[in-house]
Amino acid sequence: MQPILIQAVFLPIILSPVVYVLGRKIGARAGWFAFAALLYSTLLILLAAGSSPDYLENYDWQPIGTFGLRLDGLSVPFAATIYILSTVLAVYSIPYMTHRIEEEVEEIQDKAERHRLFNHKIGLYFTYYLAYAAGMLGTVLATNLIQFYIFFELMLIPSFFLIAQFGYGDRVKISLMYFLWTHVGALLLLAGLLALGFLSGHFDMSLINTASMNQSVLIWIAVAITVGLFVKLAAFGLHIWLPYAHAEAPTPISALLSPAMIGIGGYAVIRLLLFLLPAQYEIITFATSIWGLITIIYGGLMALNQDDIKRFLAYSSVSQMGYIIFGISSAYYVGVSGSVFQYVSHGTGKALLFMAAGSIIMQTHGIRSISNLGGLSRRLPITAIAAMVGFLAIIGVPPMNGFQSEWMLFYGSFAGALKTGSTAKLFITAAALVATALTAGYTLVMMKRVFYGETPEHLQHVKEAGLTVTIPLLALAFITILLGIYPGLVTERLLPVIASVLGGGAS
Amino acid sequence: MADLVQVLPWLVWVIPLIGALLTPVFAHINGKIRDIMAAVFALGGAVSATLLLPTALSGETIHSEIPWIPSLNINAGVLADPLSIFIATVVAWICFLIMVYSIGYMHGDPNLTRYWFFMNFFIGNMLLIVLSDNFLQMFFGWEGVGLCSYGLIGFWNKDELKDYVGTRGHTVLGLPQAYSPSQAGMKAFMMTRVGDISFLIGLLILYYYSGTFSFTELAEKTGWSKELVSAGLFIPAAILIFGGAVGKSAQFPLHEWLPDAMAGPTAVSALIHAATMVKAGVFLVARVGPIFYNAAEVTSQVTPLFITIAWIGVFTAFLAATQAVVAKEIKKLLAYSTVSQIGYMMLALGVAGLSTDFALGYTAGLFHLTSHAIFKAALFMGAGALIHATGSKYLHDMGGLRKHMKYTYISMLIVAGSLAGVPFLSGFWSKDAILAATLGASETSSMSIIYALAVVTAVMTAFYTFKMIGLVFFGKPSEHLEEREREGHHVHEAPKIMLIPYTILAGATLAIGIVGFFFEEGLHEMLSRNLEHEFANIHIVEASGGINPTALVSSLAAVGIGGFIAYYYYIARKADPTKITQNNSFARGLYQFFYNRWYMNAIYYWVFVKSVEGFSRITFKNLELGVIDKISTSVATSTITFSTIGRWVDINVVDGVSNGIASAGKVLSGVSRRIQTGVTEEYVFAYVMGAVLLILLFLYILLTGVSV
Repeated sequence: MQPILIQAVFLPIILSPVVYVLGRKIGARAGWFAFAALLYSTLLILLAAGSSPDYLENYDWQPIGTFGLRLDGLSVPFAATIYILSTVLAVYSIPYMTHRIEEEVEEIQDKAERHRLFNHKIGLYFTYYLAYAAGMLGTVLATNLIQFYIFFELMLIPSFFLIAQFGYGDRVKISLMYFLWTHVGALLLLAGLLALGFLSGHFDMSLINTASMNQSVLIWIAVAITVGLFVKLAAFGLHIWLPYAHAEAPTPISALLSPAMIGIGGYAVIRLLLFLLPAQYEIITFATSIWGLITIIYGGLMALNQDDIKRFLAYSSVSQMGYIIFGISSAYYVGVSGSVFQYVSHGTGKALLFMAAGSIIMQTHGIRSISNLGGLSRRLPITAIAAMVGFLAIIGVPPMNGFQSEWMLFYGSFAGALKTGSTAKLFITAAALVATALTAGYTLVMMKRVFYGETPEHLQHVKEAGLTVTIPLLALAFITILLGIYPGLVTERLLPVIASVLGGGAS
Repeated sequence: MADLVQVLPWLVWVIPLIGALLTPVFAHINGKIRDIMAAVFALGGAVSATLLLPTALSGETIHSEIPWIPSLNINAGVLADPLSIFIATVVAWICFLIMVYSIGYMHGDPNLTRYWFFMNFFIGNMLLIVLSDNFLQMFFGWEGVGLCSYGLIGFWNKDELKDYVGTRGHTVLGLPQAYSPSQAGMKAFMMTRVGDISFLIGLLILYYYSGTFSFTELAEKTGWSKELVSAGLFIPAAILIFGGAVGKSAQFPLHEWLPDAMAGPTAVSALIHAATMVKAGVFLVARVGPIFYNAAEVTSQVTPLFITIAWIGVFTAFLAATQAVVAKEIKKLLAYSTVSQIGYMMLALGVAGLSTDFALGYTAGLFHLTSHAIFKAALFMGAGALIHATGSKYLHDMGGLRKHMKYTYISMLIVAGSLAGVPFLSGFWSKDAILAATLGASETSSMSIIYALAVVTAVMTAFYTFKMIGLVFFGKPSEHLEEREREGHHVHEAPKIMLIPYTILAGATLAIGIVGFFFEEGLHEMLSRNLEHEFANIHIVEASGGINPTALVSSLAAVGIGGFIAYYYYIARKADPTKITQNNSFARGLYQFFYNRWYMNAIYYWVFVKSVEGFSRITFKNLELGVIDKISTSVATSTITFSTIGRWVDINVVDGVSNGIASAGKVLSGVSRRIQTGVTEEYVFAYVMGAVLLILLFLYILLTGVSV
């Protein structure tokens, strides 16, 4: 067994102090080092995924059990999305954070001092950045409940610092709010995981068999895990932290937080609930599908009302998490797979949108209010194209990947309803599909307000940013379209894995 | 050679798509090459489609598949049967002509790269719809054309006042009726989206029971219908799928987007919103109608579907015709007319399933699709030339133009005659075929009303068509034109690159008209043979029955009456038509009702836009900010307590630790002095500590690790 995945997880962590030192010396160029580390790790992931459909590395971890890293059909889409986004955004971070930190330090008169402070901050940024990416990856590869929880927390801490130190607005308060909310969720999750581990006698997921356990306790464990994860997923009622955190985080981090991180909640629902507690999962799916539907509609309605471009995108993420919850609740293998695919689609789509927003913020010197924007398609054509691709992906229009994921997701939900003969669920699914019109509505309104119409006087001189912004945008747009035309890259391994738990499928 | 034929159906739609993707590349070389290459790639699609015609005429079918999503048994593929080849050929050639026209019409526009990209992307997707062998792939084309429609309606997205559609200052129920291009594009996208959602719901339900998206499999293995029927979802699923066609083809109740789509460049209106895309819905019904008809165990199971189609078709035809009668803008008149004529096609495809002979209505619908595509494309291109020449989109700003624009006049007269149903022009035959098919329907209870509506619509059609001809080409030049004349803008004939495409189409209209009856027979022969071949349960009664005298008399009377009234008021100008509404309050009310689009547009806007916006605003204010955020704030209050604790931790723990590691940090960074004190520095060290712990964990694992 080659130590591939362990490298992919720990190399960025090991290198994270190094990047700080580098930052002190060479400033923003340290970002290229972070980029190289992540690129290498991404290639490792792809290599591992290519070598086996169910790639597993196990390390002894007594007394807890096994420290395993597993790359199967379910974790590949997540792992690949997380690292590809992290890699692409590392490049994008270089110009964006340069702009952002310069804003912060411009008051300092002494040039040398300002330079030093800048280098210090940018080094720190990439330090957190690497740890954050590795934390997310570790979470989706974990095979052990405790290990899962450690990584789950590990991704929270650097992101907390990233918001607290590099964010906008009332960032300290917001980062604390973010920390507290997600922590409450994490503690609920921890309670569920510990109970599950101790009751079953194992922390290794592969050894846990809940079928023979006391069912009356399990439902409570399932509820604790679900609610805990729904905080991360920002389900309706548990979402209030998200618009704050995602709007005020530095934009590359928003682009990671919004699609990559919160969606991990969806992964965890599948891995922990569906795989470990299938009977309990069946019981709660009806409730969670309604919860998902409400989240879809509510997030969309809120998005319609926003004037801040990043807050708008944040509410859109709430709505999109509703889709993921909805698909996971379908209790049908195509629907659950559709949700996983939706994570990927939303990952590329929303990252594109946040990056486009960041490009606008950078190039207009900080304008975030939509009412002060307009007519930018002529000034920022590549940003406009990227935003359009991103919007179409989240509306679910072919040839974007969002279409493939959405039809699978909704089909699964219909199939689940028809299989059980549940008329109520049939109507809920139809309602959810109708609610996608809301998604189309708020995105097109935004497109129009930001990019079309007369270009206002103060935006006449806005120019497209350099290649470190446009190439990441185009790269992600390319992936978005590629997966839409050829969904097999995601689905071919994913569907059989989900089918093996839920039944169904050709195999 | 046999292999080449297998590849051809792919090439038909792939070539224009490649053309679209290469547009920016050509644009880099130079503008002229870009413009020419755009038309060349469109021609490539048209030629490929034409090369397939022999296959269609010999009644053969090419079906070629490749795996797409293997784990769900979904293939991508093309199905080139007589239906798709025929439609693809018509569509591709019209596309090519309009591309040529565009070179002249769009000349000098600064955003032509975007224009050509969307145009070729549109053509590729349109042909993809026609040639797909399964629903899922068709849906790609389906949404692709919608996307292009959105992008091209809003092409002039600077939203300058001159590009608005509708009359400024005209409000209905408090809502302005003039739309900016970007708003009109959005409206089109949203409204067709509603249809698409309906389509998708129906489709996914169908897929659950049939396990396939493939048209051929749905036609061959009809077991799925039994389950759908027993679940009570057979007709709902079918009607939901039909909903997609309603949206795309602008049928009631989703017809309101098309008139405002006229905000796009006229070449776009000609291509997308008259000749091709809006027919996609008709094509969908032509694809799916037989599948459902064939799958039903007894015909009565499927009758509600076809009754729905027929009613929606005829009602839309009537509804839109009433609005065309009072339209003021030439493009809007043509747009209402398009909606109305598509209604006829839907009617024909609806009565197909209600007759003993499925092929009668089916052929009539597709015949009308063809003739309408040709004459309406020409009408729009002519309208574009008129707008160019006169600098106005309003009919009353034109007048007396037949002397100055002779070729345009003759061409438009021919194609307008075809729209009106003048004998021996293509539209006469196709409309007559629809009326005849309607009379032939065996479902009689409501057929007489449907037939009456169809005839009344034909009268209105003849009226508004000749009204347009009269207002534009006859009488004296309008004040607007005289003023332009004084300013030195003389009215000129359109340049050749614009003129030739629509004269060719006028010629085609004439040619099909002359051989009309035989053309219809040939089409009937080809399509009915194909229907029988593909569907086990569709039987063709041989011979189309020739000319139906009742239908013939009705259509002749319709064009006679409608044409005469228009002649009286607008061509001969024997009386002033404005007097009618001035002197009669009922006529005035009716005029207002029609002109305000039966108030549907405004009501939709209130119900689906304004109220959602309002609801969203209220929820945001009262629930999100008023309740949920408040709860969170109380959490935040407790964070103050937390941050006090945090401060204590900072000072007593982190600081202590950081001081301890400070020297290590200095060595590490190679910096000899601490640059900064304060909270951030401590975070760094806390962080380094965490990292160190993790690395230790990692080493521990590696050292003790036993590979499994």
